[in-house]
Amino acid sequence: MELSQLIQNLLNGLAIGSVYAIFALGYTLVFSILGIINFAHGAVFTLGAYFTYTLVVGQFENNGLLKGVNLFPQGSPLSGNPWAFALATLIGAVIAGFVAVLVERLAFRPMRARGADPLLALVSSLGVALVVVNLIQLLVGAEIYNFPSDAYGEVRPALSFQIGDRVVIVRTVQIIIFAVSLAMLAVLGYVIGRTKVGKALRAVAESPGTASLLGISVDRFILITFFLSGFLGGLAGTLVGTAFGVAGPYFGVTYGLKGLAVIVLGGLGSIPGAVVGGLVIGLAEAFVPANYSAYKDAVAFALLFVILLVRPQGLLGRVQIQKV
Amino acid sequence: MGDFLAQYGFLIVTMVQAGLLGLSLYFPLQAGQLSLASPGFYAVGGYVAAILLTNPAFAGLRESLGNGLFPLTWLAAALICGLLGLVVGIPALRLRGIYLALATIAFVEILRVVSLNLGVTGGAIGIFGIPQAFGFQDRWQYIWLFGPLLILTLLFARQLERSRVGRAFRAIREDELAADAMGVPPTRYKVLAFVIGAVLAGIVGAMSAPFLNTWNAKQGTFDASIAILAFVLIGGSRNIWGPVVGGALLTAVPELLRFLADWRLVINGLVLVVASLYLPQGIVGALERLRRTRPPRRPETAALPGVKGGTP
Repeated sequence: MELSQLIQNLLNGLAIGSVYAIFALGYTLVFSILGIINFAHGAVFTLGAYFTYTLVVGQFENNGLLKGVNLFPQGSPLSGNPWAFALATLIGAVIAGFVAVLVERLAFRPMRARGADPLLALVSSLGVALVVVNLIQLLVGAEIYNFPSDAYGEVRPALSFQIGDRVVIVRTVQIIIFAVSLAMLAVLGYVIGRTKVGKALRAVAESPGTASLLGISVDRFILITFFLSGFLGGLAGTLVGTAFGVAGPYFGVTYGLKGLAVIVLGGLGSIPGAVVGGLVIGLAEAFVPANYSAYKDAVAFALLFVILLVRPQGLLGRVQIQKV
Repeated sequence: MGDFLAQYGFLIVTMVQAGLLGLSLYFPLQAGQLSLASPGFYAVGGYVAAILLTNPAFAGLRESLGNGLFPLTWLAAALICGLLGLVVGIPALRLRGIYLALATIAFVEILRVVSLNLGVTGGAIGIFGIPQAFGFQDRWQYIWLFGPLLILTLLFARQLERSRVGRAFRAIREDELAADAMGVPPTRYKVLAFVIGAVLAGIVGAMSAPFLNTWNAKQGTFDASIAILAFVLIGGSRNIWGPVVGGALLTAVPELLRFLADWRLVINGLVLVVASLYLPQGIVGALERLRRTRPPRRPETAALPGVKGGTP
């Protein structure tokens, strides 16, 4: 492989891998606290992109119940320059966070109260995902929406530089994705590792019973976890939406599945594991040769299958001892 | 009667078919293995039948066998899915609970992407124009295939539960380590349960390909895995009737809700949420508890003991 091609693949892989990482962090946070997989996470991802789209554009042309609605006849105040767009993204992610909290209240907390089997929580969260995805379709139609190019103002053009006789093109959006993801990881790492909230979260993850004896309100920290999870999922949704367009209500399904591969690869419940897993899968996909690109979507699952067979605890997961 | 069959025949056959797919997931679950691989084997079985029935390479075979080819497609699908189940099952069944579930999701996704890209499976378009089994004129006639298969499967499942093998499955489900210590080899029985499920799903696929007339990569997807899991959990995972009732009902619900037009899938999701909240043992489990005046022998919450998350 030529050097320019190598660098191009590396950059593409890092950008998409970092989105996988922050998306998967949402999964793994919930898994580390509750020991269940929240299948509604992919739907929250989709919602994040749609919330931001609503704030930035506010028009739904195609079909669905909201057809013809125009929230901003004078043009959205949250569009036109990079900072306004960033603010819209942030608000979109916060709303997605609150949706995740709602999911917890409706689908998970009643299960917990009954001490139900985790598998039923899985079915319940899938039911929620089905509701959300189909509500989106009902409201705004199944069509693809794109963020208009003027939404970000002046940062649209791509960077390119020459290596040897080939040109490497880096889209600005890829740099933004990578930078935002790094920033999010740093903030999250700080919150979990250094703050009181993070300490309490870790205590709940380790043992909810002991944590509640120590005066930690477990339910409240579960809500915080779901908020963080939804925030990260929603943010990832907007970032991917910015890069590829918001590809309809089923936008999050593929990411939902790949996110599973990411967290298993890194180690279920492991936060650094989600980051490593995301980057590994992003890079692996970027390096699939062009004539095999049709098989790209299988890469994550092939890696998942292989890692489960050789090292089921994942790359960075802890080995758990089977209790009799 | 004719009108009724013309209107609802397709739905009734689909309900029976869903029940059969539910049962294919129920067998591994008997041995405590949460496998979501059924749609993968279903898809493979369908492709085997579709290729045998349409591919020019088998034209001679079709000519000489005539209608005898249809049972042959079932046999071929059963054999191939059984072998595939063995190949996938032996390594994958070292995993437990959610890890096995994830590995089988990966298996289904890999099969889907491969079938989207192979020439022999017709790529993204799939295989179409599959001839109707035994020259059936109407879709409801497929009940003559799926109905007996369901009855045979239920009889087989009942006999299995009473047999030594069925007791071994239960022992592994309740406590694998204890079963192992008592001389029940867990791996052998887990693989057996997995292969039985794979063979069943494969045969259902082979019967469904002519029924649906076309076969493509949409037949085996993650969505299908989840739908089939929901059949079993909503119907009840403790009784052979659970997957049948769950499959039939959850297939019928969206059709019966058709008057709600666009809202029906939203309501379908709500049904899943509400049912998993209020019927932890599934519909059949709840009916059983109603029938019994004695208090339930098992704790209500233990819908699926033996299938645990946590350790791989």
